[in-house]
Amino acid sequence: MNALECRALVKELQSGPHTLRVLAGIDLAVAPGEFVAILGPSGSGKTTLLGLLAGLDRPSAGEVHLEGRRIDALSEDELARLRRGRVGFVFQSFQLLANLTALENVLLPLELAGVSRAKEKAEELLAEVGLGERLHHYPPQLSGGEQQRVALARAFAGEPGVLFADEPTGNLDAETGARILALIERLREKRGTTLVLVTHDPEVAGKADRRVHLRAGKVERIEGAGVA
Amino acid sequence: MRGVGVVLRAARRESRGARGRLVFFTGCLALGAMAVVGVAGLVDSVRAAIALQSQELLGADVWIRSRRALPEELERELAAARAAGARQADVRLAQTMARATATDASRLVELKAVGPGFPFHGTLVLEPPGTLDALLDPERVVIAAELASAIGAQVGDEVALGAARFTVAALVLDEPGRLDPTFTAGPRVFSSLEGFERMQLGGIGSRITQGVLLALPPEAGPAAAWVEGLRERAGDPRDVRFDSHDEAQPQVRRAARRVERFLGLVALLSLILGGVGVAEIVRAWIGTRVQSVAVLRVLGFTPRQVLAIFAGHVVALAVAGSAVGAVLGSFLPLFVPRLLPELLPAGLVIGWAPLSILRGVGLGTLVALAFSLPALSAVWRVAPVRVLRHEAEPLPPRRAVTLAALALLLAAVYVAAWVQGGEADEAGWFTLGTLALFGLLAGGARGLTKLAAVLPRRRLAPLLVQGVAALARPGAGVLGAVVALGLGTLVVLTLVLVRGRLAERLSSALPIGGASVFFLDLQSDQRAELERILAEEQASSVRIVPLATARLAAIDGVPIEALAERRDGGGRGRWALTREQRITWQAELTPDNRIVAGEWWSDPARLEVSLEEDFAEDIGAALGSTLRFDLQGVPIELLVTSLRQVEWESFGINFFLVAEPGALDEAPHSLLAAADVPREREQRVQDRVSATLSNVTVIRVRAILDKVRHVLARAGLAVEVLGAFTALVGLVLLAGVASLGAARRTREAALWKVLGQTRAGVARLFGLEFALQGFVAGFLGALGACTLAWAFLEHVLELDGAIPWWTAPLAGLAAALLSALCGLAACARALAVRPIESLRG
Repeated sequence: MNALECRALVKELQSGPHTLRVLAGIDLAVAPGEFVAILGPSGSGKTTLLGLLAGLDRPSAGEVHLEGRRIDALSEDELARLRRGRVGFVFQSFQLLANLTALENVLLPLELAGVSRAKEKAEELLAEVGLGERLHHYPPQLSGGEQQRVALARAFAGEPGVLFADEPTGNLDAETGARILALIERLREKRGTTLVLVTHDPEVAGKADRRVHLRAGKVERIEGAGVA
Repeated sequence: MRGVGVVLRAARRESRGARGRLVFFTGCLALGAMAVVGVAGLVDSVRAAIALQSQELLGADVWIRSRRALPEELERELAAARAAGARQADVRLAQTMARATATDASRLVELKAVGPGFPFHGTLVLEPPGTLDALLDPERVVIAAELASAIGAQVGDEVALGAARFTVAALVLDEPGRLDPTFTAGPRVFSSLEGFERMQLGGIGSRITQGVLLALPPEAGPAAAWVEGLRERAGDPRDVRFDSHDEAQPQVRRAARRVERFLGLVALLSLILGGVGVAEIVRAWIGTRVQSVAVLRVLGFTPRQVLAIFAGHVVALAVAGSAVGAVLGSFLPLFVPRLLPELLPAGLVIGWAPLSILRGVGLGTLVALAFSLPALSAVWRVAPVRVLRHEAEPLPPRRAVTLAALALLLAAVYVAAWVQGGEADEAGWFTLGTLALFGLLAGGARGLTKLAAVLPRRRLAPLLVQGVAALARPGAGVLGAVVALGLGTLVVLTLVLVRGRLAERLSSALPIGGASVFFLDLQSDQRAELERILAEEQASSVRIVPLATARLAAIDGVPIEALAERRDGGGRGRWALTREQRITWQAELTPDNRIVAGEWWSDPARLEVSLEEDFAEDIGAALGSTLRFDLQGVPIELLVTSLRQVEWESFGINFFLVAEPGALDEAPHSLLAAADVPREREQRVQDRVSATLSNVTVIRVRAILDKVRHVLARAGLAVEVLGAFTALVGLVLLAGVASLGAARRTREAALWKVLGQTRAGVARLFGLEFALQGFVAGFLGALGACTLAWAFLEHVLELDGAIPWWTAPLAGLAAALLSALCGLAACARALAVRPIESLRG
């Protein structure tokens, strides 16, 4: 069973009287534990594809299967429940809740999933990403790299099967970016998490098992070995 | 349960956002709650103040009377009431002759025999000073000063009443419970009940009224409701008339009723005021939290859980804000007596009342939560994908959620209005009215957006183009702003319009020259002499009318005895049917009378009569009814061709029955005169009338007139102050609402500046947009206010509801100005910030 699969995925957006086709029939399958990078120029549909694969958005046509379950027709509530624990996210702009401390940001998905010893687990995770001393700092009190590490700890907190990352190093300098990427790799390998990552950066993409190149809403080519 | 814990924790953490917002939010909630609680507290205090004064005018809380002995069931109930703490004074009323044995002069007098305790409220002013309890015994009476003067009896002299003789123990200068000189037969004499027995007045044909005056313990609640309960428990006895203090005095009854209704309106409108403030704050707050909502959704929170987080936050802040507002609001009545001692005497203040604070917190929280729901339901539309694309389209609105939020809001408005106003029916109408107004304002907002979208912009000036375009763009928040501003305008303007008319009515009801002296039993040939005396003594507002006494014999051919027998619901109707009627005739309608149905002397073929509307209802007559009277043996038939509303507060000469001139000219009658005599000349007038017109009875009412004037002035002041206070709170909230929408404009201002627009240019642009919104909201809100004020004045207060409709465009302009000024003030920081700072976020 694939960790993630989409068939003939189409996304159209309505812009006044015009219909804009952002994705025009994407087929993709990702094996468990695989690291797939999605590349392409601006407007090629990378982020839209990521949103659809993660169940954050609904396709205009086509199917999405996450860990064997078809998700494109689920209700908002069902999708929300699915995301708990099964899926993790890392974003370019970190998307931490500014009114929660680092620890509370990591605690949130754990509490929601009803994990026992949530606090200890969150503290361990933050220690693992090197923020054991900054548990009670609020996001605005942390540097960009630190914020992204909190976001990583939050993303891995629920032991997700699949991690979706949208340009996770895009807002960071090269050195910090490299460190964050290494951290993602380490955390992922240790847990066997499938990773789907959107990036502009060929260097980042170079670490992936496969690279899916998009152009104008279509798969232009796929590099690397793995499932088609 | 786990979900609940997570949501509660998340709600608590959410409250940790920006401290400034928290303080502002709590402050606005507190203001809203203060409007609800403070107004309710003031309303209660003003109600108590007016109740106290009407108690003083009656001298008691309840007045029960009958021309027969009170039925046993009623006596049993009265005994139970006494056991529960009520105080009772037995009363006998009769008209009889009083004769000074020394001078042999006599007069018809109104005799009132009272048991110990009277008066329970107010004071009876006697000369020499004393109390009835101390002065009255089986041998002694207390008589009106006018009577003493008329029959030449002084304190210590002897007067004969019925079969007994009494010593005059004191003179009455002022007494509670004497407000109807038009219906009085003569000056007052007070005796003890034992003294009354000695007079042996109970012979055949005597008309003795027996009754009790009651003072209720505080726990008995409002007298009117208590009286209703008593009447029911006593089996609704016929022939017994029940009056609570607020119903007993026609001169203040209507004024008190109007003020009471106005207070109810203020209390209800304060609910909307609080609610609108809260709704707009929540809308603005949710607007700043959209990204957080999206993150929560991505982390696996369902829309319902997100709603619960934010609703929990609202409830927590609403409880805090309402508690602050309720405590502050409950202090409001404590300060009022100091600031405005005329409005609330210090002794009357309803002080620290934990229950009312609790009620305020409950009501404030309910209103806050209910009005937040439509704004909170916006979390359903936040797309999780927004975390990836900031410009992601919101999810389509869910009809069920929108309808549920609206239904819950209306249900809460109904409950709150019921709690605040106490009437289920009124709460229903109020809720429907609110819904209609929401519809009107929402329609107006949509119309404005549509109009802005289709307007050919090329023909407009460049500034207007941008201002109009801003209204048409998606997500401009025009709907919310217009509804909030419109509702705020409605509240403020309704209060201004109603308050103005009512206060004016209350103050003008008592003309400066209200009659201070009445002259009874004047004969036609004495008229010239009285007019001469009055002219010489510089009396003004002299009015002399004919007065005949008659009994109703039949209505529409049905004998009165049969009608009285049929009459259920007891006392009042039967009383009105069977008592001796006083009837006058006049060609012109006096200014304190208003025709509410039919026409004044319109049928040349018939002899007509005009009835006071309440009296018509009491006797069961309507337009077109034929009344047959027995005029001291002469039958006469009159057709009811008009119904009148009488401003009893005017204290002029007024009658339930006014006949067409000519109809009763030949009937035996006397004249009744009234005049405003200068205070210092009243005694001289009385002495001169006694000397030259010895049969004429003089009744001086200045003391009562002053008292009524005082009650009405206080009621007028209450209306002014409460109306102004609530309108002021409304203006503050309006300014807040206008500012809230503007606070989100930082980024937009920066963009305009990047594009080369100057700061003043951006300010003009924003100002125009706010002004256009404000105008539409103000105009529609003012139309609603005019309609509401008209309906309230005309149908609830029964006042002439002439509404200045031109206020609608004026209110639109005022709202436009307020909206633009407050909006720009709130944008000041956004306008001052360098563009790069805000674009960096």
